[in-house]
Amino acid sequence: MQMRGKVAKKFGDDINTDYIIPAFLLQESWDKQFFADHAFEGYDPSFGPACRANKESIVVGANNFGCGSSREQAVYAIKYNNVVAVVAQSFPDIFFRNCLNNALLPIQVSDTSKIAVGDELVVDLDSKTLRDRTTGVDYPIVATDAAIELMERGGFLGFVRERLRQKLKAEPMKASS
Amino acid sequence: MPGATITEKIVSRAMGRKAKAGDLIEALPVDKLYFNEVIGPPAILNFEKDFEDVYTESGKKMQVFNPSRIAFMPDHTVPSCSIKVSQGIRLMSDFAKDQGIAMYKEGDGIEHTIASEEAFVLPGEIAVATDSHTCTQGALGALAFGIGTTEGENLLATGELYSFTVPETIRFKVSGKFQRGVYAKDLVLHVLGMMGEGGASKRVAEYTGPTIDSLDMEGRFTICNLSVEMSARTAIINPDDRTLAYVNEALARRQMTMTDEIRGMMARSDPDANFAKSVEVDASTVEPTVSLPHSPANAKPVSQVSDPIDMVFLGSCANAREADLTVAAKILKGRKVSPKTNLLVIPASRRVYNWAMDNGLLKIFADAGANIESSNCGPCFGKHMGILAPGDRCLSTSNRNYKGRMGSPEAFIYLGSPALAAATAIEGRIADPRKYLPAGEN
Repeated sequence: MQMRGKVAKKFGDDINTDYIIPAFLLQESWDKQFFADHAFEGYDPSFGPACRANKESIVVGANNFGCGSSREQAVYAIKYNNVVAVVAQSFPDIFFRNCLNNALLPIQVSDTSKIAVGDELVVDLDSKTLRDRTTGVDYPIVATDAAIELMERGGFLGFVRERLRQKLKAEPMKASS
Repeated sequence: MPGATITEKIVSRAMGRKAKAGDLIEALPVDKLYFNEVIGPPAILNFEKDFEDVYTESGKKMQVFNPSRIAFMPDHTVPSCSIKVSQGIRLMSDFAKDQGIAMYKEGDGIEHTIASEEAFVLPGEIAVATDSHTCTQGALGALAFGIGTTEGENLLATGELYSFTVPETIRFKVSGKFQRGVYAKDLVLHVLGMMGEGGASKRVAEYTGPTIDSLDMEGRFTICNLSVEMSARTAIINPDDRTLAYVNEALARRQMTMTDEIRGMMARSDPDANFAKSVEVDASTVEPTVSLPHSPANAKPVSQVSDPIDMVFLGSCANAREADLTVAAKILKGRKVSPKTNLLVIPASRRVYNWAMDNGLLKIFADAGANIESSNCGPCFGKHMGILAPGDRCLSTSNRNYKGRMGSPEAFIYLGSPALAAATAIEGRIADPRKYLPAGEN
């Protein structure tokens, strides 16, 4: 599977999910687009317009992108601004899993310092390569096979539904202990 | 063959087979699952949307995997601060009633406090909740961590976590006696300073050593709570007699008693287990510590800081249990909060609140000029009860001082211990708690 996009925003280390979407908004809507409209509102208000300027945008971070709170709304805030992938040097687990569950590709490479805003990137999951078409540099993607599979599947939902189907079949009575 | 870490033992027990760090588990059964009112409502709505047809197809009523293993705890902005929040709580309580899930009331307490105080989470269990500070339960010797909304809805349906990699462990060996005026909070802020915000990424922070052994349970909860600020997968402390005594008390609150089964769940790391890394910490060198804006890892000894403070917040899932309120009350007794500063006290649970009332602590706080609120997350969530204006400076006993966390992105948040918070409230600037502690007391 391949995904293409243009780097719309670049950040440094330790971007936390409070910066991506502030807490006071979390309970105010159950609509994912609402969070995209407020993405990085207090931290970098140009985020939304910059990402929406492209049909497919990519956001680049450095170390520990998406740290802090477990709020999945941070993923909605990024994704629903036309963002297909976040490229960073590392991701904490909760954010990483939230990305996988929402088909926002969390792409880990060892060094993002030479990737610039405006660069055209190609994520190639089959060859586990991130290609910067603007600079011509290829970066190996650091990911387990299981993570690649989940990225290709677009999350766990199909699998969980199947799992639930099997469980309901196996248990004639509802589980209660 | 080397021994196993407590984390590996807990996963092995859950899987019924040996699991080691790095193993990929396709479906990990979870023992306990809890939700707050921030993520509960969308998780319930998604659960209904994504799985209703599967239940219909099987000719079964929509039923969560096991209601007795689930709890709902509205705590972040309660008593409700907006119509939408109230709608969310209503949605949760209707669902809870329909499904037979325990629904706590607004003001019963902060989810991570209730979960341990009410013996909802027990040592050796795997517990997950829709909040990153679920790692607090690691103090019980449980494997506990935060999840997002989608994993929450999946767990409601099947009780399983998918594609779980058994994490490696960083062992923190802590030795040395605390200096006067130094507490678990100072230690963990110091550790965050050593490790940085991403320093424990993907790994479990396991705390061992004589300093941890001699720490009360409140201190252990604090240390585990803040470990997510170095991006640890979670934190854990091997259960011991103190843990056992705490759990006994918690069980008694629910008219339950310790059983062989519960005791049998308690696991401890083997001395020859594989640790990805070992870090030695000398607690005797730690001073009263403050984390400066805007990172929990920006830790400095209090001797280097004396910034003026507009608001002091004594509360949150990090530091608002009995021991925390006790030390703050010792310092505030017979003293007044600075006229320049607001002190906000929010006990971690209804039980802690009532205990503080019965033991005269609330009166000490009130006499000093504090605002006391019923139990909830308070201003740490930045939505109600003490929102900071641009330029405001707040010293908080909570766990995050990110820019904008408690209101304006142009405000400044400092983190410290309850003792440091009390001293700061008196002086109206960041202050060393040692000068206010009664002689001979810590």
